[in-house]
Amino acid sequence: MLPSNIDLPQGTLDLLILRTLSIGPQHGWAISERVQQVSSDVLRIQQGSLYPALHRLERRGWIKARWGTSDNNRRAKYYELTRTGRKQLEVETDSWQKLTAAVAQILENA
Amino acid sequence: MFTDLLHRLRAIFRRNAVESELNEELRFHFSHEVEKYIRHGATREEALRRARLAFGGHEQVKEDCREARGTGFVETSLQDLRYALRQLAGNPGFAVVIVLTLALSIGANSAIFSVISSVLLKSLPYPQPEKIVRLFLTNSVYPQFPLNPFDFRDYRARSKSFDSMAIYTRGDMQLSGGSSEPVRLYGFSITSGFFRVLGLQPQLGREFDRNAELPHNGQQVILSDRLWRARFGADPAIVGKKITLNAQPFTVIGVMPPGTEHPGNEYHSLAYGDDVDLWSPFTFDGDPTRRGSHYTEGIARLKDGVTPEQAQSELNAIMAELGREYANDARWRVLIVPLYREVVGSSQRMLLVLLGAVGMVLLIACANAANLLLARAASRQREIAVRLALGASRSRLIRQLLTESLLIAFIGGALGLVMAIGGVKALVTLLPADFPRVHEIHVSAPVFAFTFIVSAATGILFGLIPAIQASRIDPRRGLHEGGRTSTASGGLSQLRNALVVSEVTLACVLLIGAGLMLRSLLNLVHLDPGFREDHVLTATVSLPYPEYKSTEQVEHFYDTLTTNLSSIPGVESAGVGSDLPWTGYDENTSLNIEGKQPGPNDEFHARYHVASRDYFRALGIPLLHGRFITAADKAGAPPVIVINRAMAEKYWGTEDTVGKRVTWDDHPKEGDWFRVVGVVGDVKDKPSSPATEPAFWWSSLQQPFAFLGESLVIRSASDPQTLADAVRNEVHHLDPALAVADVQWMDEIVYGSVATPRFAFVLVGLFAGLAIILAAIGTYGVISYSVTQRTSEFGLRVALGAQRLDVIRLVLTQAAKLVLAGTALGLVFALTLARVLKNLIYNVSPADPLTFASAGLMVIAIAVLACYIPALKATRANPMTALRAE
Repeated sequence: MLPSNIDLPQGTLDLLILRTLSIGPQHGWAISERVQQVSSDVLRIQQGSLYPALHRLERRGWIKARWGTSDNNRRAKYYELTRTGRKQLEVETDSWQKLTAAVAQILENA
Repeated sequence: MFTDLLHRLRAIFRRNAVESELNEELRFHFSHEVEKYIRHGATREEALRRARLAFGGHEQVKEDCREARGTGFVETSLQDLRYALRQLAGNPGFAVVIVLTLALSIGANSAIFSVISSVLLKSLPYPQPEKIVRLFLTNSVYPQFPLNPFDFRDYRARSKSFDSMAIYTRGDMQLSGGSSEPVRLYGFSITSGFFRVLGLQPQLGREFDRNAELPHNGQQVILSDRLWRARFGADPAIVGKKITLNAQPFTVIGVMPPGTEHPGNEYHSLAYGDDVDLWSPFTFDGDPTRRGSHYTEGIARLKDGVTPEQAQSELNAIMAELGREYANDARWRVLIVPLYREVVGSSQRMLLVLLGAVGMVLLIACANAANLLLARAASRQREIAVRLALGASRSRLIRQLLTESLLIAFIGGALGLVMAIGGVKALVTLLPADFPRVHEIHVSAPVFAFTFIVSAATGILFGLIPAIQASRIDPRRGLHEGGRTSTASGGLSQLRNALVVSEVTLACVLLIGAGLMLRSLLNLVHLDPGFREDHVLTATVSLPYPEYKSTEQVEHFYDTLTTNLSSIPGVESAGVGSDLPWTGYDENTSLNIEGKQPGPNDEFHARYHVASRDYFRALGIPLLHGRFITAADKAGAPPVIVINRAMAEKYWGTEDTVGKRVTWDDHPKEGDWFRVVGVVGDVKDKPSSPATEPAFWWSSLQQPFAFLGESLVIRSASDPQTLADAVRNEVHHLDPALAVADVQWMDEIVYGSVATPRFAFVLVGLFAGLAIILAAIGTYGVISYSVTQRTSEFGLRVALGAQRLDVIRLVLTQAAKLVLAGTALGLVFALTLARVLKNLIYNVSPADPLTFASAGLMVIAIAVLACYIPALKATRANPMTALRAE
């Protein structure tokens, strides 16, 4: 019943969070749900790594947090990208694409 | 960067808010997770279970978030600290024992370090002190000999290695004038450039110039700040005024600033620190071609870029030239010793040995603390198992336990520092007055730093192993065993045994060290000094030159004084002499012996003194041959000397010495020869060695030049204070303007002379005592712990018919194994380590079998005795309880 999921390579979690937040502010649970959904259940973020990652990104100033109300009227902590976070997302997306392209090339041709 | 800092600061200072936000955030996530499972058709219970599984360790997530905030370290440390404080408060007995043990040993370390920091580590109180060197002469017989002033004048004229050079010699003066009683002031005669060598400037006026060194120009004086304030009311116009010293007018030409420290001296009684009252010019009188007399101390400041070795070879080249010009100079070489080494060299090894000893005490205390922690960790197994089960990592647990041991160590260190402040005061009073830089010893900033570092190292040292041990618990086993104190694993008890063995080893080493020092001290105390110190009062009286110009006047004064002193009721004998044993007097002369020629690289040499007719009798120096000096050996009578046995044996060997003649004149006429009339027993030159150099005494009524300051020696059975007053009266009866100084009993001088070895012994003894007590406590702790664990075994044995004695024997055998192993190791280590004591102990082999045997036995006895109480407890094991438990 559980979809087969794969371990996230080092550093990709930050990229996924930043990308998810680029659409708009979200709380932690929504981030993990969205990643799972969009990746067709292949990627699942354990909250054991999600929340430490959110706090780490907040400390670096890439995302900021504020309290808001969720759909069912509960207080929730929403994270949104800061300007440096947006830049960081570009940089990381770029390098990720380069990396995957290079890896793919090797897998196909080597 | 800035957001990062803000973020961290908020996390630290608004810790509770941040934590509750985190809780809320995680709860929010959890409830959404649960709802999701319910939406997918799970029951509420099932959803909760699955959400919890998905969530992982709740605490672990929180911990990781704190870590991610970058403040985890500070935050968790604060948390650990609060926890550690609660732990300590919850177990005050444990806390008091461990903190006091550590406080005592850290305090002892800090106290010894205070001495080392002030004596060895602090630089000398002069600008660029590394450039200051002391100058000595040296040959195969005398490794460090004072300079001849005329030689010095030639070094100064011919050498190029020095920025400035000076000689100095003790020159006390009597200050009179005004309404106050005359006082003897502590003074030195110095050449020009003395203060330039030290790098010091007078606060008023200037230092002496070369003119002051000329005979008849010497009536100038530089005052110390203390004297200037105390006697002259800090008169700002004092420079140029005249004051009365030795009944002569002296012009004040300068005042030194406070903290002008004396660089130390080798001859005459030693001075250190700022206790010198005044300085007068050293004047070059006499015949510059006669260079046999050596009594001045050389000091110099090297030019930039000149090494002591270069300077020494330059001076030796000059000395070789001088040797061709003056016969007396041919057999000497110059020796240059950096001032620092000269000042602290002799005390360095002793202080380092003390630091080693006190370090061992600290190691024992650490072992004890580690043992206590191990025992406590065993009883905290359940708590630790619960924490491990709840997701605490091992490293996290070790850190928390380490926080506890560090807290203990720092409380101990703080208390220790307080003890050190008191201890240092006690140490300074124990130290001999002439110990280098003794007045500079106090608890200073480096000592605080040292204590901090030592405390931290101590906390880690005794905390790390128990913490690692404790974190190795298997959580399932720990929980399973419930509240019961579980049995220690085999590895743990081996560790505790190893700690006890090392404690006993160290205590044994220290006890042997203390034993060797005690034997050495006893040897020194029992060494025959060559005189009898009991019931002898001594004092010095100096005569001012203008009123006692002629030798006859001086001789007459002392002769009358001794006659009057002898008539005081109770006085057995009273004499005067140039000096007293063991007060640093070391005036030497070369001499010619009738019918003998010195070897090509040698000269006849002896220390000269003056003695009156009863001097030897009063000091209890025995007569071996011939006679003492008598009243008949006066001016006009044939000149005589009395020599010591060392001189008789060195220059005449087995020949009969009485009647032989010596002279100081290179072309003697008949009247220049002095006849040996008696040989007296050897008086040791120094209290710390049996050596005696050749010496002779002129009759005080035939002085070749006037000794203006002489020592009184009075042997009397009467009350000390009455006698001291009577002596003062007799002196003032003859001349009311004279000061009587250095009133002291000879046995005080003797007692003070072994102050340094006594200091070393008292301290090492104290440390050894502390060590043995700590080791006994450690052994007791381990044995009583193992007795508690084996209660059921002992109960069974008793149930099966074992006698009380069998059980006691069983426990003591276990203890004896540890103690014997420790003692054996201790003996081996001591054998290696005792070699460092070699120069510190007198007439005892560093491998002295008696000391080793008695120290070993003492350690075994005390440690096994400490286990007697647990052994008795073992005999009370109740068979019924034991059987029920099985």
